[in-house]
Amino acid sequence: MADAVYQPRLLMLATLSCAYPGADAVGKARLEYYPNVHILGVPAPVMFPKEFYLRTYAKGFDGIIIAACGSDCPYKNAYDQLAARIDDLVQDMKQGGLEIARIRTTAICTVCIKPFLKEVEEMKEKLAPLGPVNREIAATLWRAEREAMKTRAAQVA
Amino acid sequence: MEPTPNPLESPDQPKIGVYICRCGGNISDYLDTEKLADTVRGIPGVTLSKVDTFMCSDPGQDRIVQDVQAGLVNRVVVASCSPFLHEVTFKAAVRRGGLNPYLYTHVNIREQGSWAHGHQGDAATQHALHMIAGGVGKVRHLQPLDKIRLPSHRRVLVIGGGVAGMKAALDTARRGLPVLLVEKAPQLGGRSLDLGRVYPSEQEARELVKRLEKDVRAEEKITVLTGSEVTAIGGFIGNFEATISTGSEQRTDAIGAVIMATGFTPYQPPEGEYAFGHSQVVTLPEFVKALRDMPSGKTLTWNGKPVRSVGLMHCVGSRQCEGCFQPQPDGQLNDYCSRVCCTSLLRNAVELRSRFPETQIYDFHQDIRTYGRGQEDYYTCASDQGVTFFRWKGEEPPVVTARDKGGLAITVKDQLTFGEEIEVPVDLLVLGVGMMPGPIADLVDQLKLPVGADRFLQEVHPKLRPVEVAVAGVLLAGTAQGPMSIEESLEGASAAAAKASILLAHDYTDLEPFVALVTPDLCVGCNACVEECQYAGAVTMEAGPEGKSVATVNPGLCKGCGACVAVCPTRAIDVQGWTLDQFDAMIDGMTDEALRVPATQG
Ligand SMILES: Cc1cc2nc3c(=O)[nH]c(=O)nc-3n(C[C@H](O)[C@H](O)[C@H](O)COP(=O)(O)OP(=O)(O)OC[C@H]3O[C@@H](n4cnc5c(N)ncnc54)[C@H](O)[C@@H]3O)c2cc1C
Ligand code: SF4
Ligand code: SF4
Repeated sequence: MADAVYQPRLLMLATLSCAYPGADAVGKARLEYYPNVHILGVPAPVMFPKEFYLRTYAKGFDGIIIAACGSDCPYKNAYDQLAARIDDLVQDMKQGGLEIARIRTTAICTVCIKPFLKEVEEMKEKLAPLGPVNREIAATLWRAEREAMKTRAAQVA
Repeated sequence: MEPTPNPLESPDQPKIGVYICRCGGNISDYLDTEKLADTVRGIPGVTLSKVDTFMCSDPGQDRIVQDVQAGLVNRVVVASCSPFLHEVTFKAAVRRGGLNPYLYTHVNIREQGSWAHGHQGDAATQHALHMIAGGVGKVRHLQPLDKIRLPSHRRVLVIGGGVAGMKAALDTARRGLPVLLVEKAPQLGGRSLDLGRVYPSEQEARELVKRLEKDVRAEEKITVLTGSEVTAIGGFIGNFEATISTGSEQRTDAIGAVIMATGFTPYQPPEGEYAFGHSQVVTLPEFVKALRDMPSGKTLTWNGKPVRSVGLMHCVGSRQCEGCFQPQPDGQLNDYCSRVCCTSLLRNAVELRSRFPETQIYDFHQDIRTYGRGQEDYYTCASDQGVTFFRWKGEEPPVVTARDKGGLAITVKDQLTFGEEIEVPVDLLVLGVGMMPGPIADLVDQLKLPVGADRFLQEVHPKLRPVEVAVAGVLLAGTAQGPMSIEESLEGASAAAAKASILLAHDYTDLEPFVALVTPDLCVGCNACVEECQYAGAVTMEAGPEGKSVATVNPGLCKGCGACVAVCPTRAIDVQGWTLDQFDAMIDGMTDEALRVPATQG
């Protein structure tokens, strides 16, 4: 293909009650965005452990956008719980040498067509100069987190 | 890196069927659906892949049914439009084939595929391939699930005892379900009690209320609690619990469905809006009540003064233009139409003309919206009886000032006379105030009810599901949903009652099984999930085998948020249908470098 310009591979974790229908609305309006964006519908992003994000980078996703419901979140306190998890993830990424620009949390509503396009475009522009994710670093961080989980489990017993 | 273990590999060899929809060109004009089908066939576990012009058509669905029945597939992926459109359709086809419907995964290659990157050539098809590979990854890890069947309380709570609440209670009770009707005022009837004769039937509103109330009181299945309020409410369809304070006591009731009939509040103009606050400026509800209760005569009197002319102002607190009026505390204007004010104003103009023939009437409107059956007659009749009409533009509302010699002056740029500025002196001004929702923030908060841009309770879909809200088991009746006439309020109430009786037709409710589940062997009893969960009782530590503590989920209380999942050190707890293993497998599919669609030649 002629077009060899690097396009970051993006994962969007899109809440089924807000951001996922928001992404549908973009398509319905026939507004295009670049095709390396993979949208994954989720009941609530609060369910993902740090380990999931690190593994996802290790597998080759260059960036992750968590598109949640913001203050419209249907679950009690979940937005705060999510924020705490992402803070924790960011700490690990910083220490391990993974660019923290690769993670972003935002709110997209069911009719948020423009914000959706803006988020995708901005993330793409932020990630393009960084180039592909360092999968080795991500894998190392992921393995370390798996070990930490095992230790936590063992401490109970 | 360790591969994600596939629990199904040996016992139940997955035979995955992938069905790709052309959507009559909506997909296949942009993505190469044939190439997709060819390439997908190479993914381990995929035993067949097919393309159809319309998967949702009967022949399309039959492909799935037949392949399942023939034993060719035991897991199904459909790549088509958004799951919000046809996930249920294809799940049902899977079930008709004889397979558990939860062994199904939907991939969206239209709204988030062909329509979103359709003009980007092979890259768009490549993207769709990876999305389908993600779906294949997930479907491989799915487990059969059953809906959760919970016992329901076959009893309905109606909040609000206006005409809508009374009607909803009656229709529900007459289908055999016990009803608790809670009204905060000391009497039943709501706002209709303050009306006189009402359009379009010209009945006395109080007669109407009396008839409804008599039936309600005679119905033994209805318990009426006046002077009472719901102070706390929670739960879910079939299993709500409401705490009601009746003034003398506090009671707690188990409820299966809730009908919101909390009605409306008239718009209260701020001091100075159309000279509101002046003794000769009155709102329509106050005026209607006073008119009903006063003797007829040659000339109307107000505050002891003869009224030779009355001004009627439409759209007060409705259809407000930006910058012309003081917004509500939330910063918003009421930009919606309150629907009843036009006809009510004209109805009362007609009554005024016949009961006080020497009082003149001037009507000031943006539009005349007498939209319902029999309503236009009031306009014709008012015209015939000599009511003078002035029409103003939405962004140029009339200006009202107090006159030195008493009374008021209304200055209007009249569109019926080509924008001529006219000053009309009147002795009394009636403000046709609109409707606002009642003060029910507590209930909205506790039941997590959706509210529209107009702040009224919002239905799921105005045509297809007009009295249901997104919270299962909660229904809408009357003006709690938006401005309505009595007729429309009663229609909504009957619909809500019918819906409630359908929901509670059985003594159980079936819920989606997407709640947390613990694998006891993996649980180390660390209590992390219990601490993280925000819903009391959803997950608790129970004694397991050999005295070990094991986290246990109560499926009736778990909301399926998965907050617990993220903190478990052993992946012992997962939300069914959305497990972490399934998500990992989706990521693996989406990033599978081996999957490439052959480039288009030329
Ligand atoms: C000036 C005016 C003139 C009108 N003229 C006509 C007419 O001629 N013809 C016509 O068809 N319609 C007319 N209408 C419309 C009519 O008034 C309404 O359609 C009707 O009153 C709606 O009934 P409802 O039961 O939905 O609400 P409401 O009458 O508002 O009743 C709601 C009830 O719920 C109670 N409630 C609220 N919150 C709670 C709570 N938290 N707990 C317990 N109880 C609660 C309230 O106390 C109230 O009794 C007119 C309206 C106005 C303002
Ligand atoms: S899924 Fe949510 S509600 Fe259910 S047990 Fe886990 S944290 Fe609690
Ligand atoms: S967090 Fe996991 S291991 Fe700990 S108690 Fe809950 S299910 Fe068991």
